[in-house]
Amino acid sequence: MGLVLVSHSEQLVAGLGAIVAQFGGSEVPVALAGGTEDGRIGTTAPRIEAAIRSVLEGGAEGAVVLLDFGSALLSLEVALEMLEPEIRARVRVSDAPLVEGAFLAGVQASTGATLDEVAEAARGWQSLPKVPEA
Amino acid sequence: MAELHLTVLDPAGLHARPAAKVVKVASRFESRIVLRSGNRAVDVKSLIAVLGLTIRPMSEITLTAEGPDADVALAALVDELGAAVTQSSDGSAVALAPDGATVQP
Repeated sequence: MGLVLVSHSEQLVAGLGAIVAQFGGSEVPVALAGGTEDGRIGTTAPRIEAAIRSVLEGGAEGAVVLLDFGSALLSLEVALEMLEPEIRARVRVSDAPLVEGAFLAGVQASTGATLDEVAEAARGWQSLPKVPEA
Repeated sequence: MAELHLTVLDPAGLHARPAAKVVKVASRFESRIVLRSGNRAVDVKSLIAVLGLTIRPMSEITLTAEGPDADVALAALVDELGAAVTQSSDGSAVALAPDGATVQP
C-alpha cells in the first residue's frame, strides 16, 4: 500500500516523505502533492490527482491520503471526483494529523498490511497524547 | 511460549525509531508477541500501542511470544537490534545500547 501526502507546502511534504522513507522503509510508495503548480503555498486538485494516480499506477494496490488543513480537503474532494470509480475505490482519505499519521501509516504499510489496516493505523494517534504527563 | 527480559538503556527510551523497527520485525511472524512495561501490556505489532507505553530509559520491559514461531520471532527481534543488544549470563536480560545509531541496519 502507498501513501499520498497533501500539504500547502511542497517543502513540508518533501521532508515528511523523507521521514516516512526512514521509518517505513523505501519500499513504501509515497507520492507528494505539496504547494501549487507555480510554487506557491496552497493545494490544487490536479497535483493531488496526479499524486494518487502515480502511487496506484506505480504498483500499489491502494493508497491512503493524508492531508493538512483547510482547502486541502476541498482540493482533495475535487481530485477524487476526477478519478474513475475503480481507482477511487482503492483510495482511503485519512482523518489523522498529517505528520503523525504519515509516520504510523508508513510503518504499517511496510508490514504488508491491507489498505484498511494502514488507514486504521494512521488514525491511531488521535487516542495518544503527545505529552502524557501534561 | 518464549520470553525475554530487557532493560532499555537508550537515553531516549524506546522512541519512534526502535519502536518502528520492533513493530516491523514482529509483523513478519505469526506468533502473538506482547510487550509488557510496568503493569501495561500491548501487542508489539501495533506501533501506536508501543509508542503509547512511552517507555523511558532504564525501563524494564518483557517480550513474550506465543505461537508456532515464538522462539524465532524473539530471536529476530534481538537480531534486528544487532550489535546494540547484549544478553546477560543467564540469558534472560537484554539491553538496548545507548547509541541509537548502532541499531541502524
